[in-house]
Amino acid sequence: MTEATFPQCRISAERLLNPETTERLLNKLIEVPGIRRMLLNGQRLPAIIPYGPAKGLANPHPMRKTIKVGDQDVELQVHVGNVLLELENRESIPALKAACESVFTDFTFRIQEGRYMKTEPSLVDYCKYGPDADKEMLGLADPSSKSKPVILQGIK
Amino acid sequence: MAYKPQYCAGQTIVADNRRKQMDPAHKLEKLRDVSDKDLVLIMGHRVPGSAYKSAHPPLAEQQEPACPVRKMVTPTDGAKAGDRVRYIQFSDSMYNAPCQPYLRSYLEAYRFRGIDPGTLSGRQIVECRERDLEKYAKDLVNTELFDPALCGVRGCTVHGHSLRLDENGMMFDMLQRCILDKKSGIVKIVKDQVGVPLDGEVKVGKPMDAKWIKSHSTIYHSLVGTAFRDDAELVEYIQRIHSLRVKYGFMPKEA
Repeated sequence: MTEATFPQCRISAERLLNPETTERLLNKLIEVPGIRRMLLNGQRLPAIIPYGPAKGLANPHPMRKTIKVGDQDVELQVHVGNVLLELENRESIPALKAACESVFTDFTFRIQEGRYMKTEPSLVDYCKYGPDADKEMLGLADPSSKSKPVILQGIK
Repeated sequence: MAYKPQYCAGQTIVADNRRKQMDPAHKLEKLRDVSDKDLVLIMGHRVPGSAYKSAHPPLAEQQEPACPVRKMVTPTDGAKAGDRVRYIQFSDSMYNAPCQPYLRSYLEAYRFRGIDPGTLSGRQIVECRERDLEKYAKDLVNTELFDPALCGVRGCTVHGHSLRLDENGMMFDMLQRCILDKKSGIVKIVKDQVGVPLDGEVKVGKPMDAKWIKSHSTIYHSLVGTAFRDDAELVEYIQRIHSLRVKYGFMPKEA
């Protein structure tokens, strides 16, 4: 479980982000020391249409791409709208802001500080992961999700 | 003095645009020319060129009961031929799309005959006889009521109305029914309204520019357009309606 004392941030831009912009942003963000966890939030873009008359057909979507962050491939599953971050301390925030300013040149953005990830395991988390849950994963993914997190080598 | 409908209250450009769209005497500006065949493809109810399927025999061939109302009301072409009832549904972005779900229902009721419009939070559906629908759909897509980037013909998976636009200025669409060709700047529809891929693509023209979008908006939006609170007349009207409804709810004689 996350320590309640770790500050959290949310970066939201005026527009939903293209994969290329997301890639540029994340590559800038990972240069900032002190980011513990990061979550890309947005509208889901399923590879197969899950319902409706076209159910089962492939759903090619230009916003669902594999991007390269650092030297890791990250497969986007959403049209990125917000980036949630958990930081070691508040001192990283000015650097995050500077990183965003260098990427969002065509439209506005804002960084908010608040609580955006779970800080306590929910009942569903307990059912899924049990008492020995991987604390790094709590609040990052839906408990029914089978996807694993991408681990980026930090620069700490 | 003859009654002259006012359509809606308000002194801003948004209210003005709403009135224009609702007023059947106002001729909607034609902006693009999507062919009949392309519209049939987008809606996906029948193969272009195929016969209309019918729900009942043509009115001329079936025995009609003696009814004064039937004598008074001229049937539409679709009803006359006994066509099936089909639909077209639109999603409109709240980022200044030129038409909005509630307004669509109003204006269709003023302008079209034999329709069953239905408004939901971010989308609006209109049902009517198939050949009438194709005629009405032409007006809905080819005129100032439609913008290729901010409005979408979506039968299902309609999500997008309240979401931020993407970087290209297009409304979010999980099924990516229309694609913005960055080279030519033209929006191409590649799937029908329920997300089944089309054999070809239907070009619906370039998205309108920001100035046009702002001057043709029919939604109040404090961040990207005219704020609701800036329209004193409309606020006064809404407050009056609200107050009357509340009073009527408690004590009818005071309303």
